[in-house]
Amino acid sequence: MTTLMLVILGLAMGVVFGVALEKSRVLEPGVLVRQFQFTNFTMLKMFFAAVATGLVVLAVLNGLGLTALHPKAAVMGSTIVGGLLLGAGIVIAGACPGTALAQIGVGYKDAWATVAGGILGAMVYGYNIDAIEGLLKVGDFGKITFDQLLGMPYWLLALIVAVALTGVMVALEKWRPWRAEMAGLPGGDRLPPQREDTMPTGTAGQKA
Amino acid sequence: MIRLTDSAWSPYAAGIVIGLLQIPAFMLADTALGASSSFVTAAAWIASIFDPAAAQIDYFAKHMTSDKYYWQSALVIGIALGAYISARLGGVKRPSFAKAWSELTSVKSLGGRMIMGFVGGFILLMGARIAGGCTSGHGVSGMAQLAVGSTVAVIAMFAGGIVTALAFKRA
Repeated sequence: MTTLMLVILGLAMGVVFGVALEKSRVLEPGVLVRQFQFTNFTMLKMFFAAVATGLVVLAVLNGLGLTALHPKAAVMGSTIVGGLLLGAGIVIAGACPGTALAQIGVGYKDAWATVAGGILGAMVYGYNIDAIEGLLKVGDFGKITFDQLLGMPYWLLALIVAVALTGVMVALEKWRPWRAEMAGLPGGDRLPPQREDTMPTGTAGQKA
Repeated sequence: MIRLTDSAWSPYAAGIVIGLLQIPAFMLADTALGASSSFVTAAAWIASIFDPAAAQIDYFAKHMTSDKYYWQSALVIGIALGAYISARLGGVKRPSFAKAWSELTSVKSLGGRMIMGFVGGFILLMGARIAGGCTSGHGVSGMAQLAVGSTVAVIAMFAGGIVTALAFKRA
């Protein structure tokens, strides 16, 4: 693909991504912070659905040999330290790197500061990459995946995990129906009427 | 079915839509969904305006020249556009900063929130770049590939988030 085509593709995919982040309210700072306080599970619901869908999609594409996977390396030092900072940053900013842009789109003015701080963070990291990597590049296990560790084909374990995650989502929905969790958020006073196909399982959503 | 004019979708429907984006990501862009590398692309271009030596740093140079990062930069701009379109079509109005902040913290002004957002954004991207990915790259994409490192990253992310959220009010 040419660079121009890739940019157009990226833009189009981003629009879809942004719509999904707005419609699910996962761009809301309150949704992210309350997920880490375990008082609102909207983020985990969307996250599990995205991972389960990705697992099925990649099980098919990779299983049929249509695409290679691109797992990131497991470098324990930098992954753990970076992950801890990432989580702290999500709560203080009320955003992930992707949702910060979605917040700008819906008119949250503070998100401009989040993005500016993020660009500075990326800049400081880039200038100091050698020092930071030298410090944290410990426990490098390479690009290991759970299917390799278990000696199973990727597609098989991916489908098993997708089924397990679907079970978790069904239980989550019974415990905390999504409509109730969205009611107090922007636009929550006029959620769309209940329809039959809002849940991947088809039934649990109607009990809300 | 879900419609663009709906004020909201179930988080499951939205998650399925995001998961399906892995099809064009892997098949057409030959990469996984991610967002935080685009901040390095922006940082590299801005740094190179003030510091010509910045483009000599391999990490910056890679993020300024590879097609993959042009694709991702377009993706995050698209995210802003998509969220704007969605809120307009769904008729969802929002204030200049989320109401949740005055419920969860003692920050009451936009100025205070901007300082907090800037600091949070700095830590957020530092963390994402040290870990080599964010909620999209490690979370949505890494876990879908059953990557061990990404699973560790998500667990650490939750640990960091839970501890930080303890400092906030519960409301």
